[in-house]
Amino acid sequence: MPIITLHYEDLEKLTGTDKETIIERVPMIGADIERIEDESIDIEFFPDRPDLYSVEGVARAMRGFLDLETGLPEYGAKPYEVSISVSEEILKIRPFLGCAIVRGVKFNSESIKSLMDLQEDLHWGLGRNRKKVSIGVHNLSNVKPPFRYTAVDPGFEFVPLDYTEKMSMTEILEKHPKGTRFAHLVKDFEKYPIIFDSEDNVLSFPPIINGTLTTVTEATTELFIDVTGLGEAVYTALNIVVTALAERGGQVEFVRVVRPDGEEMVLPDLSPETRTLTRSEVNSLIGMDLSVEEIVKQLERMRCGAKALDDETIEVKVPAYRADILHNFDLIEDIAVGFGYGNIKIKVPETYTVGKSHPISLMRSALNEIIVGLGYYEVMPFTLTSEKVHFENMRRPKTDDVTYVLHPISEDQTLVRTTLLPNLMEILSLNQHRELPQKIFEVGEVVVNEKTGQHVAAVSIHPQSNFTEIYEVVDALMRELMLEYEVKESEDPAFLEGRRADVYVKGKKIGVFGEFHPEVISNFELGYAVVGFEFDLADLIS
Amino acid sequence: MSAQDNLTINEKKVLLALQELGSAAPGELEEKSGLQVDAAMQAAFLLEEKGLASVSEIVLERYALTGEGETYVETGLPERQIVDSLEGPTPLDELKTRFSPKMVGIATGWLVRKGWAKIEEGVMLPSGKAPAGKDEAILSTFGGEAKTLEELSADAKTVKDLLKRKLVTKHEEKFRTVSINDAGTALAAEGIVLEEEIAQVTSDLLKSGAWKGKKFRPYRLDIRPKPLYGAKVHPYRRLIEQMRQIFLEMGFTEIKGDVIQSSFWNFDALFQPQDHPARDMQDTFHLGSKTPLPAEYADKVGAMHEYGGDIDSCGWKGKWDRELPEKNVLRTHTTAVTIKYLADNPEPPVKAFCIDRAYRRETIDPTHTPEFEQLEGVVMDKDMSFADLLGLLAEFYHRMGFEEIRFRPGYFPYTEPSVEPEVYVEGLGWVELGGAGVFRKEVTEPFGIKEPVLAWGLGVSRVAMLKLGLKDLRLLYQSDIDWLRKSEVCRI
Repeated sequence: MPIITLHYEDLEKLTGTDKETIIERVPMIGADIERIEDESIDIEFFPDRPDLYSVEGVARAMRGFLDLETGLPEYGAKPYEVSISVSEEILKIRPFLGCAIVRGVKFNSESIKSLMDLQEDLHWGLGRNRKKVSIGVHNLSNVKPPFRYTAVDPGFEFVPLDYTEKMSMTEILEKHPKGTRFAHLVKDFEKYPIIFDSEDNVLSFPPIINGTLTTVTEATTELFIDVTGLGEAVYTALNIVVTALAERGGQVEFVRVVRPDGEEMVLPDLSPETRTLTRSEVNSLIGMDLSVEEIVKQLERMRCGAKALDDETIEVKVPAYRADILHNFDLIEDIAVGFGYGNIKIKVPETYTVGKSHPISLMRSALNEIIVGLGYYEVMPFTLTSEKVHFENMRRPKTDDVTYVLHPISEDQTLVRTTLLPNLMEILSLNQHRELPQKIFEVGEVVVNEKTGQHVAAVSIHPQSNFTEIYEVVDALMRELMLEYEVKESEDPAFLEGRRADVYVKGKKIGVFGEFHPEVISNFELGYAVVGFEFDLADLIS
Repeated sequence: MSAQDNLTINEKKVLLALQELGSAAPGELEEKSGLQVDAAMQAAFLLEEKGLASVSEIVLERYALTGEGETYVETGLPERQIVDSLEGPTPLDELKTRFSPKMVGIATGWLVRKGWAKIEEGVMLPSGKAPAGKDEAILSTFGGEAKTLEELSADAKTVKDLLKRKLVTKHEEKFRTVSINDAGTALAAEGIVLEEEIAQVTSDLLKSGAWKGKKFRPYRLDIRPKPLYGAKVHPYRRLIEQMRQIFLEMGFTEIKGDVIQSSFWNFDALFQPQDHPARDMQDTFHLGSKTPLPAEYADKVGAMHEYGGDIDSCGWKGKWDRELPEKNVLRTHTTAVTIKYLADNPEPPVKAFCIDRAYRRETIDPTHTPEFEQLEGVVMDKDMSFADLLGLLAEFYHRMGFEEIRFRPGYFPYTEPSVEPEVYVEGLGWVELGGAGVFRKEVTEPFGIKEPVLAWGLGVSRVAMLKLGLKDLRLLYQSDIDWLRKSEVCRI
């Protein structure tokens, strides 16, 4: 999640109150304070609130929350003077385009940095790393409208941002740091997206890089913003950037976007979405009895426009920069946040039900009692393991009932175990330097043929451990579980011939026990005799 | 009770012996007390601890000739043999034919050092002076016995040289002396009563009744026994059991499910957008296999994602891919199990919980493990509200032993409103612990769940870190047996 750095001076100026108040209250609108520094504070905001990814956005929200300025923010926009046309070709590549102009902006180094950070956080949060949304901000004074959004051959050359020489778009994808990072977004297309001015100067090669011609500096006052992408999120991103600049005193100006079919849009569309909320749905979800007036008040503190239509219905105007209002529930959360979670009178549900353990848990607790009584410590190892531990070290052939993960993090964890004994041996291996005897067991999950199962297993290591010892343990376990069992000579290569047995219950094999083969013991770097057992609990849990 | 009641019979015997002897060597003590020497000395040390006697120790250093030393007593030191044979300047080569080269080698250094000769261009020039040295005097004093420095009238430096030349060796011998002190003398003067003590209650003693009237040897209370460790369940299990117990007491039904889940149940059913980063290969363990979409829910869930289905939601606006949800993953949260259970049991009331393992593609480090236990509780019933959820959370966390709890807004893709509970931990302040919320309509509607679902969850290992004071989560899974042995049952 994005972490936003807010400079106190800027934050205090834009909010209109002191930093102490802001720091104290900001977590209560939904944020985690990461770090408090002398000059600034780092705050993590939730991914559903990209409108809070800038100091301007945070100040706007805090002014409402602190009752300094409530209700829907109004951003008047001047009629359009600039147009941009969208070509037929680009529709198959990157069809959505949102544009706006903001004039009279006064930048300093901090506010430029804040704008760049906002862009990057939006690329992450709304844009899925520029795939769905990418934003370009340009110095309007250096180019001549009208503009064209189209596609050109990859051989086309221009001077990209941060370079002084012309490069072809192919070269940009191969050499420019932004090009190599985002090449995958365009390289499968025959032509690449581009925005030209009326004299064929390049503003941008979306979603990769801007042209150097429109670089924004502290001296820049007139901005052209383009947002391209694959869906309607481009309009939300445009609104977030434009309103943040307007919060800083910029004058928004519409841009006309002309689609190839002649259809025209005038952007940015800052008109709020209207939703209707009822008092009863608010109160039943929050669990309170708020009046319509109270609901209106809280919505306004959260910077929505709100009006009581009668004593049950509220008309809500949702700001155009909010990306998270999918359903009325989202507005009701805003009301709860505005009211303050700490002010909600908590209830205790009276739903009457009877508690019930799962049969697996009942079995586990019986097994724990039995096996701890026999002197074994419980362990809880990882279920992800490797072929080396699971098969090779155990002298067991690979089986095809194992589940492998597609992209393991390390070679130690490539598969989900089908048996527990290898993990127990591994724990013994980690405890070589500890006093003997060591006796450990686990009741745990395995995954066989992609189905989750439950096993129990135990191992014992000390200089005198032998087949008789583990046979006694198995016998005791079966007796306590009230199971009649039979044993037959086993062929499990993990154990020594003549010192291994398969266990059968009602004619069905449920597991194995015995003395481990010296090779297995050495494979786990152990220095004494080890014995163990493992049973499948599938038929034993009822 | 008299002071002598604290004495064992052996201690009494030694005290009596000392009363006569005053001070004694171990051998004398053995003879006088009638005890084996080891038993007598053990009793002497115990008397010392009780302030009735003292044991002093002196270490005597003795020196003896080595085999080589003995040879030289006979033949004279190599340098003496050579200097005696010299009649004038003699080439070393010639000497090496007369004596062995090894001996010439040993002698040369000492000849020069003692000033008996010089070497110039391979020729040995005798100085004409070769007085008998202290070393020679000492060597001749041994007479076949080990002797102290005093007995040898030797200075430390010369002996050191002889030790270096390996002509003599040093032996250390300890001599102990046990002496009675005033307190011991006073106690002994009271008159010591020797009576037989019973060390072990035996079957014979009980049968015969011979124990009657006898004294049982008392054990010491001031020495702790060697630690004894009993087998036990894992401390982490104990914490999990405590949480299960809380749920059961609050009337919840325990549910379990498969480790492998389709993306449909793990993500789509929970209204997680299909391009959400959590679904990437970087964060989730994907498997190669697929599970067909559940026909009864697929269309409804798809419609919800695309345009909000039949409810007043706009959905995620975009095409809902039908292949992506079929891909199997290792469940990234137990919520996959919960939503399946709710889909199977859509009629109220439902109170269910699950504590099981979840998998995330995290690199192992002290605070992250790719598998970890997650706890989750849900309540579905008529008229349930966010205020009820806060009440449940307060009750649950209080029962877990967290006295103070507060609520902050949170965000989870499948709940609205969402809340992050924080608990107050002494020394750490407010600690975020888990998340909760009311299931979104977009989640419940496709499964025919009509009543509100309150849900909360938390990472159990986080609680384990707080409760067990762990710095490294790996210890839970790759357990050090000594840690298991020493973990106290009542810590949790």
